[in-house]
Amino acid sequence: MSRKRNWGILSSILIMMLLVSACGGPSGTGAGQTADPAAGAGEEMQEMKPEDGAKLTVWDSGDQKAFIEEAAKAFKEKYNVDVTFAELGPDKSMVQMVTDGPAGVGADVFAGVHDQIGQGVSAGVLMPNDWFEEDTRGRNSELAVKALTYENILYGYPKSVETTAVFYNKDLIKEVPQDWKGVVDFANTFNDTKANKFAIMWEVGNGYYVFPFLGGYGAYLFGKEGTDATDIGMNNEQAVEGAKFIQSLNKILPLKTSDINADIKKSLFTSNKLAMNISGPWDTGSLKESVKNLGVGMYPNLPNGKPMTPFSGVKAYFVNAYTKYPNASKMFADFITSEEWQVKNFEMNGALPANTKAAASETVQSDPIASVFLKQFENSVPMPSIPATAQFWSPMEAAMSSIWNDNKDPKAALDNMVKQMKSNIQTGQ
Amino acid sequence: MNKAIADHNRAAGMGNAGIAALLSAIFMGLGQMYNRQWTKGIIFLVAELVSLYLIVTSLAYNLWGLVTLGEQPAHMEKIGRLYRNVPGDHSIFMMIYGLVALLYIGLLVCFYIANIKDAYRIGKRRERREKVNSFRETWRLLGNQGFPYVLLTLPAIGVLVFTILPIIFMVLMAFTNYSAPDHIPPKSLVDWVGLRTFTNLVTLEAWSHTFVGVFTWTIIWAVVATVTTYFGGILVALLIEQRGIKFKGFWRTLFILPYAIPQFISLLVMRNLLNYQFGPVNQYLRMMGFGGVPWLNDPFWAKVTVILVNMWIGIPVSMILVLGVLTAIPRDLYEAAEVDGATGFQKFRNITMPFVLFQTAPILIMQFAGNINNFNVIFLLTNGLPANGDYAYAGSTDLLVTWLYKLTLDNQRYNFASAIGIIIFIIIAAFSLYNYRRSRSFKEEDMIQ
Repeated sequence: MSRKRNWGILSSILIMMLLVSACGGPSGTGAGQTADPAAGAGEEMQEMKPEDGAKLTVWDSGDQKAFIEEAAKAFKEKYNVDVTFAELGPDKSMVQMVTDGPAGVGADVFAGVHDQIGQGVSAGVLMPNDWFEEDTRGRNSELAVKALTYENILYGYPKSVETTAVFYNKDLIKEVPQDWKGVVDFANTFNDTKANKFAIMWEVGNGYYVFPFLGGYGAYLFGKEGTDATDIGMNNEQAVEGAKFIQSLNKILPLKTSDINADIKKSLFTSNKLAMNISGPWDTGSLKESVKNLGVGMYPNLPNGKPMTPFSGVKAYFVNAYTKYPNASKMFADFITSEEWQVKNFEMNGALPANTKAAASETVQSDPIASVFLKQFENSVPMPSIPATAQFWSPMEAAMSSIWNDNKDPKAALDNMVKQMKSNIQTGQ
Repeated sequence: MNKAIADHNRAAGMGNAGIAALLSAIFMGLGQMYNRQWTKGIIFLVAELVSLYLIVTSLAYNLWGLVTLGEQPAHMEKIGRLYRNVPGDHSIFMMIYGLVALLYIGLLVCFYIANIKDAYRIGKRRERREKVNSFRETWRLLGNQGFPYVLLTLPAIGVLVFTILPIIFMVLMAFTNYSAPDHIPPKSLVDWVGLRTFTNLVTLEAWSHTFVGVFTWTIIWAVVATVTTYFGGILVALLIEQRGIKFKGFWRTLFILPYAIPQFISLLVMRNLLNYQFGPVNQYLRMMGFGGVPWLNDPFWAKVTVILVNMWIGIPVSMILVLGVLTAIPRDLYEAAEVDGATGFQKFRNITMPFVLFQTAPILIMQFAGNINNFNVIFLLTNGLPANGDYAYAGSTDLLVTWLYKLTLDNQRYNFASAIGIIIFIIIAAFSLYNYRRSRSFKEEDMIQ
């Protein structure tokens, strides 16, 4: 009995020793400690230099790999800083950075879309664009800079812009009609539901494609500036009018919302069964390969005579607030978004430049598709970037499914959607 | 002689044991030294010194962190033209470190008590003039009889750090306001909010409505999915085992096929097959003159669809089980029944069914528990759709577990997700426990009466 006791004690010693060695307490900064503000940035810097021994990691989607590696090579020649690429697309990068940044394992520079800025700022993982701010403002489209500004601070380095427009198959239709009346008239001659032939298709249930209609009528998401989460104008009179108009289009597109997805839309379009396909520049490459006579046109005007207002997104590079090498990171983000490299990215991947000179360059302007998208971008509404934006998509989808699939009263559906959005925004506080 | 000394000691009020225990209570290892077990005493002394050092340098701060969850969020500071990120308290990391500290201090307390007891025991042996083990002897004992304990310490630590700690951490999350967008560290602090998450889940209209709806559907789904696959499996197995059936091996293989294809492939393919407008299933129905069925578009039909598809996946599993059980039924029972002139149905009711049920009841309960958490079928086939305007972050076919996924990965509402996780755990634990108890009673029971 007594012997047993001894082992118990000794094994618990072992446990304790191992616990101590395995998870020795963190070197906690004492409570209420504030960092010494004079550290490192006391004197006014004259020029930006990368830190000694700086090594950078960049997150971006897989298709950007070749482009980034080329830029990294040039950057290394100029500043002798190594840059490695890791694949994490801009659609997932911000969510990942919210957890990885503070843990010290995030990339130094990462690609993201401007509508996630609010999420990043409220988690404190974005380093403002400070040193290069004037340059960035000076050389990029005003709309892009505005989209990357959050609470009057500029956060990103604009890389490319995107918005949606109407791809069309020139073998099936001469050009995109001026207004929706023209679209409906064409549909009446072209549609054949049995054979799956349709005049026009967009992702009816997806808020990204619903907003161009409602916004054209005068609905707005979060205040006039897209910054006020308490002012949701998605169920005002104009919005209801817009929703009624969308409902009327069910006649020329008699499908359920969940039956229309990007893949099906694309496959109908490439097999000559769909005349007009509403999508963005990300589809340009693959559509060019499979549709011989591909064109792209601006959105048709609404019955009230107003143009539609597609959402636009600005892709940018952001600097991780927790990077060990803030200077080198800022320099690389600035370097890879310069005019020269934006043109390069357009040539390699068809990314539409945010840089005004690059957008006006011969290379871009002579491209019939890119130039139309850039024109449409000037007539677009940047997606709001406040965190509340995340609460828009799924209630909108639910509302569209009742408006479009079940032919329910648009007003009731939109009211319910706004109620849902407000309650979701509130419970987060 | 011994007795005299012991009596004398008792008269003095305190024997060796009492003194040793008191000394050890004052500082670990002192009592052991008093008992002349020098090495052991020094090890204990060092252990206490190291612990005290750790408490002063970090553990006390970590515990403070666990209680307050930090006071100073991170923020940006502008100096000249440049911003600097001033790190602050990261509430979630503080919670984890605080838990480690708590664990350590808990172990320390247990160890302290053991050390006092040990000093007292050895003291008692000295009073009785028995031999006291030297350190070398203790060490040898540890190497021989105590060896299993030494080996077990490593997995014990593993379980502590990698299982118990994360579980406690996840449970604690439900009692904080850790959720997007306003309480994501390190920019913002997370605070303890007591039971508010649970009360919100019940009182806030959007959440309670969603919770009740999703919970009800989860239970309905679990019951229906389990019953259909189970009895479907029995039916198929019985058909294959019928005496007149030829090519038994072929049929068995055929019915196992759906189970052999990874769900990731088969369910995603099904999703396309069942598309209302373009899916082959509806195309054939239309060719035959029926209208298309809104397999995945209508809330009611989508529920029917997931159950049907789940039958296709789940029936092979129960079929294999039942086939095994059927071979174990003694033939002579049936022969006896035939002599008595029983019909086929009577044989099935009185011999086959009781046997099968008896053998597979525990598995049935486990399948039910598994279906409550059947993430794959729902996530891959419908992803919770069709959308439901009255639900917060959930669709019409979402189960609790897929709703939980959406809350954490898509919307970062960690506190609500944790609360729902706790509720799911309670349900599953209840079933498992019940199942375990039953299977115990089964073991002690005689065969069918």
